[in-house]
Amino acid sequence: MENNSKMSKAQQMVKGIHELPTIPEIATRVLDMFDKPNVELEELAETILVDQVMASRVIKIVNSPFFKPMHEIKSLKRALIYLGFRQIRHIALTCSIIDAFEGKTGVFDVKTFWEHSFGVGVVSKIIAQRIRYPETEKAYIVGIIHDIGEVFLSYYMKDNFQQVVDEISGTNRSFIEVEDKLLGTTHCEVGYCLAKNWNFPPEYCDVIAHHHAPQNATCDPTLSAIVNLADLFCSVRQLDYGGREWISFNLAEEPSWKILKEFAPNFIDLDVERFCYELDERVPEVQDLVGSLFEGMIKK
Amino acid sequence: MKLSDADFEILRDFIYNTCGMYFTIQKKYFVESRLTRRMEKLNIKQHGEYFRFLKGGATGSVELKQLLNDLTTNETYFFRNPPQLKALETQLLPEVATPKEKIGFRKLRIWSAGSSSGEEAYTLAMLLLEKRDSLLKNWIFDIVGTDINDEVLAKAKEGVYNAYSVRHVPDYYMRKYFKKESNDRFVLAPEVKKLVTFQHLNLYDDNKMIFMKTFDFIFCANVLIYFDTASKSKVVQHFYNNLQPYGYFFVGQSESLHGVSDKFKTVHFPGGFAYKK
Repeated sequence: MENNSKMSKAQQMVKGIHELPTIPEIATRVLDMFDKPNVELEELAETILVDQVMASRVIKIVNSPFFKPMHEIKSLKRALIYLGFRQIRHIALTCSIIDAFEGKTGVFDVKTFWEHSFGVGVVSKIIAQRIRYPETEKAYIVGIIHDIGEVFLSYYMKDNFQQVVDEISGTNRSFIEVEDKLLGTTHCEVGYCLAKNWNFPPEYCDVIAHHHAPQNATCDPTLSAIVNLADLFCSVRQLDYGGREWISFNLAEEPSWKILKEFAPNFIDLDVERFCYELDERVPEVQDLVGSLFEGMIKK
Repeated sequence: MKLSDADFEILRDFIYNTCGMYFTIQKKYFVESRLTRRMEKLNIKQHGEYFRFLKGGATGSVELKQLLNDLTTNETYFFRNPPQLKALETQLLPEVATPKEKIGFRKLRIWSAGSSSGEEAYTLAMLLLEKRDSLLKNWIFDIVGTDINDEVLAKAKEGVYNAYSVRHVPDYYMRKYFKKESNDRFVLAPEVKKLVTFQHLNLYDDNKMIFMKTFDFIFCANVLIYFDTASKSKVVQHFYNNLQPYGYFFVGQSESLHGVSDKFKTVHFPGGFAYKK
């Protein structure tokens, strides 16, 4: 990333936390397993089953309207067969992040925050499908985790972050603008450092760092543009958080729109109005999914 | 009669493609009940048969209008589209008024096209009145409501409403701008009434449309859905021409201008969008 001062500030912040949340060992093992050839399904299932919480979350995700199985899937093994190896990797990663931040919500309302995050995941996947981006699952997962920097700030920098939230509340200002002003860095750089710390794949780190400026992405600007656009749509279709009074955008002026048009020229014909109404339809689904994944964690 | 998801989707897509109004799956039961009502009237037993009737020729387009009337409840009310009103209040009004204030041109022109009995035009009038001590000090407001139906225009000019029309009026506005004469009779304050003029206008009438000039904002909710694509394009082109260069055009909740005009820029805001010239 080119902005060194913001990046070094973020590095200091992340290094300064001694009891940084860890990605559960189990997730690391699941992730490692995918890099090895010839992993047996049995072996994978056994590894995941060690962590009952993760196992039950995998089953919940696979039964969510998002994956739409014909019949309810009750066993982990069936879930693995249904989802396939690649998706499990992504889901394992998501579940670990949820675990890592369990109970560590700080300033944010955890439910609204994760509804936004999963909303961005769902919309990223829809956009990825529309433009025939080859890795739709990756778009889904990276959409979910794009704002992990916010979770860090909200929990570990509680007081400062409260100031950020207070300053934004009732205004038109964005998180990045106010974070930069008050903290000298933003959730993009912080998220990037966190993701590096956890050895996330480089394309994930790239999106986390550049989801507000996809034109600066180095690994995969298309993926960053997908998440950026999904983020914009969610912010105007009932899946926003943060208490801003106003947000608006005009697609034609968004760098992400330009990037996606280059990737898929027919994307310009998108019926944006219908797209928005269809997103409205998905909102309850996202809320249900988050509700069930975070059962017990979210105080109603 | 129970409407299957597949049949719902057929109807939803047909209505969207012909009229430009999208019914989300959350409205399925509502659509189902209105559909059942229409089918009972026509003595049609199967959804498939009704859809064929709807899609077929002249009788179909008459029926489509009936169905749309039922689906949009053909009733307007005050404060009908909160996201739109909020966008106007918090962002679009200051955006339009600030540069005008700088050059001393303190006049706002707003048009409620297809105003029916005036609820939308008067809602806008109240919002502007609330800005009279701040953003819009010493401004002149010119709000025009037009409709093709003289009966509803007479009602608009009278400014007396029933409980249904005012059911979403926030308490603050209720106390300030309405006089409750009975549980079903609410009289609008003269200061609101005098900001709005109502006139008869057929949106198809090109000769009249070209005189509706220099509006800052135009609202046209649940009207274009009744027009075919060619007329829609023509009317929207008029709206485009009738707007100031920085003006905004709004349609109703769940309406879409996709495929009707590519001149406007779509500006998204929480819960809706506006079309910017």
